[in-house]
Amino acid sequence: MSTAHDNGAGDRPNGNGSDDQNEEMHGLLAEFETPGALVAAARKVKNAGYTEFDCYSPFPVHGIDPAMGIQRTKLPLVIFAGGLTGLFLGTLMQWWMNAYNWPWNVAGKPTWSIPANVPISYETTILLSVLTTFFGMWAANKLPQVWHPFFRLDRFAKVTDDGFFLGVEASDKRFELEQTKQLLVAAGATHVEECYVDARPEARNVPKWIWAAMTIMTMLALIPVALVFKARATKSPDPHYHVFSDMDYQPKAKSDQAFAEFADGRANRGELPGTVARGHLKADDAYYRGLANGEWITGLPAQLEVTPALVDRGQERYNIYCAPCHGYDGAGQGIIPARVAGIGGAWPARNLTDPKAGVIQMRNGQLFNTISNGFNSMMGYASQIPVEDRWAIVLYVRALQRSQNAAESELPAGHQVR
Amino acid sequence: MSATKSIHPEEKFKADKMGSRLFKVGLALGGAFLILSIILGASKSDHWRRFLHAYVIGWGFVMSIAVGSLFFVLSHHVARAKWGIVLRRLAEFMSLTIPFLGIVGLGFLIPVLAGNQNLYFWTEPTLHNETHPLWHHMHHKATWLSPWFFAVRYVVYFALFSGLAIYFARKSFAMDEAKDEAEAFKIWDHLRVASGPAIVVFALTTVFFATDLFMTFSPTWYSTIYAVNWFAGAMLATYCTLALLGRTLQQYGKLQHSITVEHYHDIGKYMFGWTFFWIYTAFSQFMLQWYGNMPEETVFYNYRMFSEWKWISLAVLFGQWAFPYLCLVTRWTKRILPLLMFFAVWQLVFHWVDLYWNIMPNAEWTVVGGHQMGPLAGVPEKHQIGFHAVDVTLLLAMVGLFIAGLGRVMKGNLMPVKDPKLGEALAFENY
Repeated sequence: MSTAHDNGAGDRPNGNGSDDQNEEMHGLLAEFETPGALVAAARKVKNAGYTEFDCYSPFPVHGIDPAMGIQRTKLPLVIFAGGLTGLFLGTLMQWWMNAYNWPWNVAGKPTWSIPANVPISYETTILLSVLTTFFGMWAANKLPQVWHPFFRLDRFAKVTDDGFFLGVEASDKRFELEQTKQLLVAAGATHVEECYVDARPEARNVPKWIWAAMTIMTMLALIPVALVFKARATKSPDPHYHVFSDMDYQPKAKSDQAFAEFADGRANRGELPGTVARGHLKADDAYYRGLANGEWITGLPAQLEVTPALVDRGQERYNIYCAPCHGYDGAGQGIIPARVAGIGGAWPARNLTDPKAGVIQMRNGQLFNTISNGFNSMMGYASQIPVEDRWAIVLYVRALQRSQNAAESELPAGHQVR
Repeated sequence: MSATKSIHPEEKFKADKMGSRLFKVGLALGGAFLILSIILGASKSDHWRRFLHAYVIGWGFVMSIAVGSLFFVLSHHVARAKWGIVLRRLAEFMSLTIPFLGIVGLGFLIPVLAGNQNLYFWTEPTLHNETHPLWHHMHHKATWLSPWFFAVRYVVYFALFSGLAIYFARKSFAMDEAKDEAEAFKIWDHLRVASGPAIVVFALTTVFFATDLFMTFSPTWYSTIYAVNWFAGAMLATYCTLALLGRTLQQYGKLQHSITVEHYHDIGKYMFGWTFFWIYTAFSQFMLQWYGNMPEETVFYNYRMFSEWKWISLAVLFGQWAFPYLCLVTRWTKRILPLLMFFAVWQLVFHWVDLYWNIMPNAEWTVVGGHQMGPLAGVPEKHQIGFHAVDVTLLLAMVGLFIAGLGRVMKGNLMPVKDPKLGEALAFENY
């Protein structure tokens, strides 16, 4: 192997400065003492018209880019595109997994909802931005570069420690060995070396054993992938692998199961004494129980007012829950009493509109209480009909009573029997 | 090794009449709008509830800038940052308004002490009855959330904030008078060492301050990241104000050679960064409560998502984050100064909207079943923004008072002229 030389090219057998017939000049490597001197030298070389040169330093040097005449990088735009791609792919992945391919109810949350997706989309945005930054920087700098002609110069090893180097390549149009050398010395170089390299393609081939090793490693890397595809394509009676078994077997109590840790042996816990679940306070007597100072109220609770919408709601609810027994007109002749009578039994339902049956005389609060808690054989509907709807039914029953007991003279004009 | 520069020979770095000019303008603006606000507040017969809430919002707005400026000073010392040295004195001036803002804050602290029960719901006396539905939420907080203890903590917070601000500003002023470079370096090194423990004190004070003053508006609601979110908004507002203050001084011929586009570029980077940190904390709070779905937490968002306030929520999301975030991502926005100033004003406006969104929904109290249940009770759909002119006039009054307070302390040099690292700050360039 040849080594580089400091002195002139005159004593070289092949006339190009190298001991080896096959080697030709790669360029000149100049060393500088400080980063500041390197920046100044780079400016000088650039101003002399050189383009094929580069600076080498152990750390990034502020201001070297403008000194070398390097344009601002376009990498940020590429990274922005990478980030947007990450955002889109991350969101698409979650939609496909959670909302399309395998919709799964987790704690009653919607399978597709933006808030739950933000953290993952955020992470994939960062992931692709970072990967674009990393590999974009590689591509822009022509990395990875496992070998460089300057590696042949022992002095160049200092570049990872305390050496600041500027290399001018012989391919530059302005390169003239002696002139360029003088320029570098004038720019403050403490040391200038020539560098030679064997330019023949066969001297640059990657050794065969590296190819072989890479092929084997690629094959090995495909084995896990192949196993995954095999598992997806075939059926097996074996239980699946629990890579993280704590997801499947959790040390926790499930509702309506036995649980030894509690004294009563049950997993379910009752309400704590003295507490009320949110929304279950029901402190308002008039609204929840139809009572005011222990008496049934006569009007509606303060929260409600008589509106056509509330009466309509009451009619709708009445026709669903009450009409099967009490009938659509409230006369107690609903479909169930009729059918029971048809097979010889008796299922009496109170006539809600007959003054003699006593329902008209009941106060609103008592009617509400009857709907909520039942009366005689009628069951309570508190668990099925929300509070406001029960009051709407009370209102509609009043409307039924009024209409069923109206005199002809009370009807609006045009509706009387002629 | 780094490049340095000396102060430009024609640089005007003396405050001269800037201080008294700002003081007069601020006092006129603040005084006029304060009187107008008092008239508006008195004409709304709600026992000053709207007025006091708007007062805390406006006051919190300027207070966040003062507190953020203190952190600017501390963080630059602790990191030995050099680029911001040309701006440090301006931040020191802004942090010196803290004692004055402590006095302005008496405008709502005294009513609370005097028994006005319309600002903070925890002052409601019936909460101490065992029959009150919220008693079991509140009884263990009764001592902490009592007016006298609240006032004691208020005084402690302001003593700590003011102490830090005055200490770091005085030492920095002393640097201007240093006899030689060795003495200036000694002070510089001393401030660097002191800033470490000072940041710990600052962080704890800020967390307790923000939690006490702003989070206790909904005393049964919990969020551990609330104070961090408040701090993020404060820092965003601080950098925006620094940009505007620097530009304003330059319009009057001051610091024209010292604050360069490179420094504005860095302020822009911080505006971008804090914009993101703000949404990061705001979304963390939202998402955890949305996912956890516990009634005592979701109640906060229930009233901000399913009432008229949803429009303000969306305005904050897009106004303080999405739009400025996308625009500030590029290098040009930060280096074209009119654009940067536009976003500084924009973000300050939305910082106020953010505080408004945080606090004002708590101004509507509801009586349920004969009990005063305070804010965030009743039917969300019936919750209204109920915008009132006093909301804005008090903001302008507080901004005026802040400018007046800033003018009062703006004396001597507008930058630390003898700071040993000033040369590096003047030569600062973004590569």
